[in-house]
Amino acid sequence: MKLRPSAAWLLAVTILAAAIVLARPGASYSHQDRAEPLAAASTLHPAGTDALGRDRLTRVAAALLLSLVGATAAAAVTTLAAAGVGTLAAFAPASIGWPAMLLCDVFLALPWMFLLLMVRSALPLTTSPANSAAITFLVLAALGWPACARAVYRGALSLKRSAWMLHAHAAGLRGRQIVRYVLPNLIPLLLPQFLICVPTFVIAEANLGALGLGIGEPLPSWGGMLLELDNSAMLLQTRWVYFPVALLIAVLLLLEAVAVEA
Amino acid sequence: MRNSIRLCAFALAILAAAPAKTCLAQAAPRMPGELAWTIGYDPKTFDPAIVDDQESEQVRYLTAGVLLRFNRLTQKVEPELAETWSVSANGRTLTFRLRLGLQFSDGSSLTARDAAWSIRRVLLPSTHAPVAEEFVSPGEVTVETPDARTVIVHLPKRVVGIGKVFDEIAIEPAGRPSQGRITSGPFFVSDYHRSLYVRLRRNPHFYARDAAGVELPYASGVRLDVLENPEQEIRLFLRGAYDVIDDLPPDYFELLRRKDPSTVRDLGPSLNTEQMWFNQAPDAPIPAWEKAWFRNRAFRIAVSQAVHRADLARIAYEGHATPAYSFISPANSIWYNRSLSAPHTDVAAAKAELAAAGFHLSGSVLEDAAGHTVKFSILTNAGNAARLKMATLIQQDLAALGMQVTVVTMDFPALVERLMHTQDYEACLLGLENVDPDPNTMMNIWLSSSPNHQWDPSEKEPATAWEAEIDRLMNEQAGALMSSERKQAVDRVQQIVADQQPFIYLVYPNVLVAVSPRLQGVQPAVLEPALTWNVEDLRLREAR
Repeated sequence: MKLRPSAAWLLAVTILAAAIVLARPGASYSHQDRAEPLAAASTLHPAGTDALGRDRLTRVAAALLLSLVGATAAAAVTTLAAAGVGTLAAFAPASIGWPAMLLCDVFLALPWMFLLLMVRSALPLTTSPANSAAITFLVLAALGWPACARAVYRGALSLKRSAWMLHAHAAGLRGRQIVRYVLPNLIPLLLPQFLICVPTFVIAEANLGALGLGIGEPLPSWGGMLLELDNSAMLLQTRWVYFPVALLIAVLLLLEAVAVEA
Repeated sequence: MRNSIRLCAFALAILAAAPAKTCLAQAAPRMPGELAWTIGYDPKTFDPAIVDDQESEQVRYLTAGVLLRFNRLTQKVEPELAETWSVSANGRTLTFRLRLGLQFSDGSSLTARDAAWSIRRVLLPSTHAPVAEEFVSPGEVTVETPDARTVIVHLPKRVVGIGKVFDEIAIEPAGRPSQGRITSGPFFVSDYHRSLYVRLRRNPHFYARDAAGVELPYASGVRLDVLENPEQEIRLFLRGAYDVIDDLPPDYFELLRRKDPSTVRDLGPSLNTEQMWFNQAPDAPIPAWEKAWFRNRAFRIAVSQAVHRADLARIAYEGHATPAYSFISPANSIWYNRSLSAPHTDVAAAKAELAAAGFHLSGSVLEDAAGHTVKFSILTNAGNAARLKMATLIQQDLAALGMQVTVVTMDFPALVERLMHTQDYEACLLGLENVDPDPNTMMNIWLSSSPNHQWDPSEKEPATAWEAEIDRLMNEQAGALMSSERKQAVDRVQQIVADQQPFIYLVYPNVLVAVSPRLQGVQPAVLEPALTWNVEDLRLREAR
């Protein structure tokens, strides 16, 4: 059974629903209704409120869109960087290709959590929440490209050794024309890499947020909302506290379904 | 599809990891008449002289016989092993007269020689006893024993609140330090299983009797289970495995209240404070105009007036905190300044204060007279949910003045590095734990030369006239012979701090406890140990 079209449609519907929630008149992810902390579901707050009285539905919708936009952008940066480095390493002379792949291996060996901690603590304290979100995804992109570049390198290498490439070289294919002819042939490899990166970055941001290293308040993030689950006393107060994590799992499954069948 | 399953499993793993850590510790079987509660970690030591952590301190409190005991309820020093005690007029000589017929838990006699040996031991530099610092010049203190029941301590100079210091000096058998196995207090250490429990047995030779002449303590022993997980502690408490829970977090207090309202008690404000402050250090690597805001009294007053402390207490602490306006809590009945005049929540007054100081709104954004946008960060430690909530609430409160505030959480070592070394921060929100009600213990915060003078550490000279006045008053109270003079000086310091707002006090977290209905004799106190300070009077209903 082909899951991809259904998953893609469901994902589109979810994104559309999140956009509608955010576009509602008066919707605010940061407004604190201080008279209603941890309120149950009501017509005013369909998924209740969080511990500060902020509308949970609006925050979840904002976190979903922010996370998807950020992860998609980061995945695009990662894929492009991987395409560039992987292709360069495959087609350039060994004096360039070998150091490029060595650089990949060095990046793969880096303790990325430690690096993220360092980057976050080096940021100016007045970095706005929006900038902190952008920097978080940029750092994820910067750390995510090497694994992807390795896969692209292998693909590009097999293209380089393919019969049609030998024929093309024999027919006088020049260096600068390689990009034009090779890149389209790499798309079947790059597209799955891109699609796999999206859920990976979504979950990475959620993990960082759960460690208190993600997007700053009052901007909502999956990680920030997952932090609520760290308090079992709160879990008993309202079941809506599970809503963000349930939606996160659903979105990740949909993204994975789209990626796996690509 | 396999990837989806793997991802799902990963997500579930996150879910499973999110709640508090599980703990496999099991409650050991309870002996007849034995009390039981938990400690968060293994005591670092059972040697009462070198205690410097909370759980070791708890074991010391339960086992140590001391000359004087600081009554946690009345907040007064009372004779314990000493029948009487006196301080000379110049405050430099203390005379203790021991009770008659005192014995250690092994039945051996306790004499002035043992008391003198124990005091000398904590004064020796080689012992590294933290309590020695409280004598100011421990090397110059001498102890003599004119007879078997009299101990005389000579101090090189007067020490404020010296009586309370003897609450921390355990009297041990001379030349036989025993790691709590031979004590002169209500209990002695009988059994210790690392990571599981510490078992204390009743001292059959403890001096105290109740009004009817019954030997104290009533309980046959105390079992302290090592247990870090509050959920498991609550579950076992509800099953009757534990008799008390000290220091409940507000959310767990509510959880327990819903399950059994008769067990929980909110004792009101603690001595602890939660506060925010602005960085006023001249060398701080922040823009000059920000330093000018932070040194501007009107700016600090306006911020203080914009903060809705009642909301902080209600939302961040689920109502189990009290709005704070001073560094001394109302729970500190002796030292709290009841006639304190402090800026209360008044957003209109805050706006007027800022306007008078040259700040103005440009649209919805506050700017200073030179046109700089008023934006700054509030730093707090990661992992403290109440502080993060308070910072986020303050963020919205200050937005009403047009201030743009970012909330930054940081792991504690990184935060301390910024506060103590690099000074690279703008505002900070943290708490201060006060175990001692005597304001003399806060000298290290209020003296301008102190590295813990957080808003501007280690000033060579007081930077302002009001800081110089605080220095003078704090030194004055430390040297005053009359307690009324001390109180007057400390009241004035409280008023200066309220007028200048170097620390903007937010809330006093309340003391939240749970007590088993089976436990008798409990007299909850705000000071630690809140429920077990009178452990000798505690007993289970079915015990003798």
